[in-house]
Amino acid sequence: MKRTLTVLSYVFIIGMSIITLFPFIYMILASLMTFQEATSIPPTLIPSNWEFQNYSTALQKAPFARYFFNTVLVATVSTIGTLFTTILASFAFVKLNFKGKKALLTALVALLMVPYEVVVFSNYQTIAQLGLMNTYTSLIVPSMASVFYIFYLNSFLEAMPISYYNVAKVTGASDLEFIFKVMVPLSKPALFTMSILSFIGGWNSFIWPVLVTNVPEMRLLGNGLSAFATESGTDVHLQMAASTITIVPILILYFIFRKQIIRGVVKSGIKG
Amino acid sequence: MNRFKYSAENAPKAWFFLIPALAIIIIFNVVPLIRTFYMSFYRGSLTNPQFNDIQNYITVLTDTKFHTAIKNTSIYAFVVVPVALALSLLIAITIHEKIKYKDFFETIFFIPYLTSMIAVGVVFRFLLNGDYGIVNFVLGLIGIGPIDFLNNPSMAITTIIIFGVWSGLAFNIIILLSGIKSINTDYYKVADMFGATKVEQFRKITLPQLIPIITFLLTVNFISSFKVYTQVFAIFNGKAGIADSATTAVFYIYNKFYVQNRYGEGMAAALILFVLILLFTMVQRMIMKKVAQR
Repeated sequence: MKRTLTVLSYVFIIGMSIITLFPFIYMILASLMTFQEATSIPPTLIPSNWEFQNYSTALQKAPFARYFFNTVLVATVSTIGTLFTTILASFAFVKLNFKGKKALLTALVALLMVPYEVVVFSNYQTIAQLGLMNTYTSLIVPSMASVFYIFYLNSFLEAMPISYYNVAKVTGASDLEFIFKVMVPLSKPALFTMSILSFIGGWNSFIWPVLVTNVPEMRLLGNGLSAFATESGTDVHLQMAASTITIVPILILYFIFRKQIIRGVVKSGIKG
Repeated sequence: MNRFKYSAENAPKAWFFLIPALAIIIIFNVVPLIRTFYMSFYRGSLTNPQFNDIQNYITVLTDTKFHTAIKNTSIYAFVVVPVALALSLLIAITIHEKIKYKDFFETIFFIPYLTSMIAVGVVFRFLLNGDYGIVNFVLGLIGIGPIDFLNNPSMAITTIIIFGVWSGLAFNIIILLSGIKSINTDYYKVADMFGATKVEQFRKITLPQLIPIITFLLTVNFISSFKVYTQVFAIFNGKAGIADSATTAVFYIYNKFYVQNRYGEGMAAALILFVLILLFTMVQRMIMKKVAQR
């Protein structure tokens, strides 16, 4: 009885793992197939030849190199910006007292309740009116601060004794010195987790790039891929190559920083 | 003004450190919210808006397309959230109780959380294709189908539900696993001493301990399901299914705003959705509080 249950458990978990992983594995396999193999019945599982030129063909048919560059740039700069604004804000919230702090924190909690989709469209208008359509500014600046990450870092900093700050003050260190010489080094794990999550979020962002760009050169991988899927019609093997280009860098990041990423998601509770 | 004189802690300089974050949050979170509210009472172009009273709200609320959108969104939410949560709970508990390589499986199950929804959608379109998709081939082996997942309007909702459950498991499993791990093992030791069965232990210890986490997951899952958009966009390649058969609330807003340029109506629909989400969250919290008290 107990053995049967254990066997059943393994069958269930392995079955679910296959369902979870299969789309990714088959994506990579199909990206190396010929068109005939990718659309054959019964389906081909393993390509007879590894058709690596699918990748170069996909790169020629759409400017994926450019999309890739844009995505890396946007995700990196908005992550650095978020780190900067969040560190300063969390320092003020946790280490200083000021008038209206409680009210401000309450207002920020209330803002967390507002769905992104409710403000994203009128945000687009702000950008359009400022004449910032199709610029890196419009892709980057709005995501350079995050209420979520401020609260995330706050909860981490609250565990750091206030006496560190007081000692720094007594020894004559300025606030900025305290922030960058004491606070930042001590909160490295939290900042690192934040950076990865923010980078992945930027990498996978979709609605915003669709709204504020309408020329191919400014697309990110998400909307670039979606446009390519429309334009390339039935070339599924090329679509799989393009999807692989979009997904694999994040998978590599994930396999390197698995622990930090999982811990960060569990702690911050951000539902993507 | 000596107001700050005897308050040693009071540091107005704090605002200096808050400015960068607050400036961005105000410009890109607060102002748009006010603007959404304001615009929902106007009609016409962006440069020449005319006051329209509550007409936009009436138009949206009586629009049959909006009714379809809300209906589809509700079906999606009320199927995906419970199914995904039950399945995640089963997976998390099985991994915790019965499986040796916990980290290995945790790593696998979390992958869909991190990968681009659009890219995964392109892959799903390939797998679900009616002519050469591998899913139909496998279903054919056991005598089902072929099912036209992508081009049959009456299948559209089912298709996004399948995709929604598949992509929703990852987050739930990770959160549940961390919750189960943090339950004090002494409870189980004591329960074992008194001869409680595993099923009893699950019902009397594990489940009650997980109630706060389940409440949290229900809340965030319902909120994100009510906002479902990217999944639909991805799986139907930019459309809301054949003949808008899978249109959702956010898709409706997007179309009003970006395609039809009826900004006021789009914003009214956005605020209606916001209020619906808030009300739903409040009701759900009350119910879960009752459940927790029992």
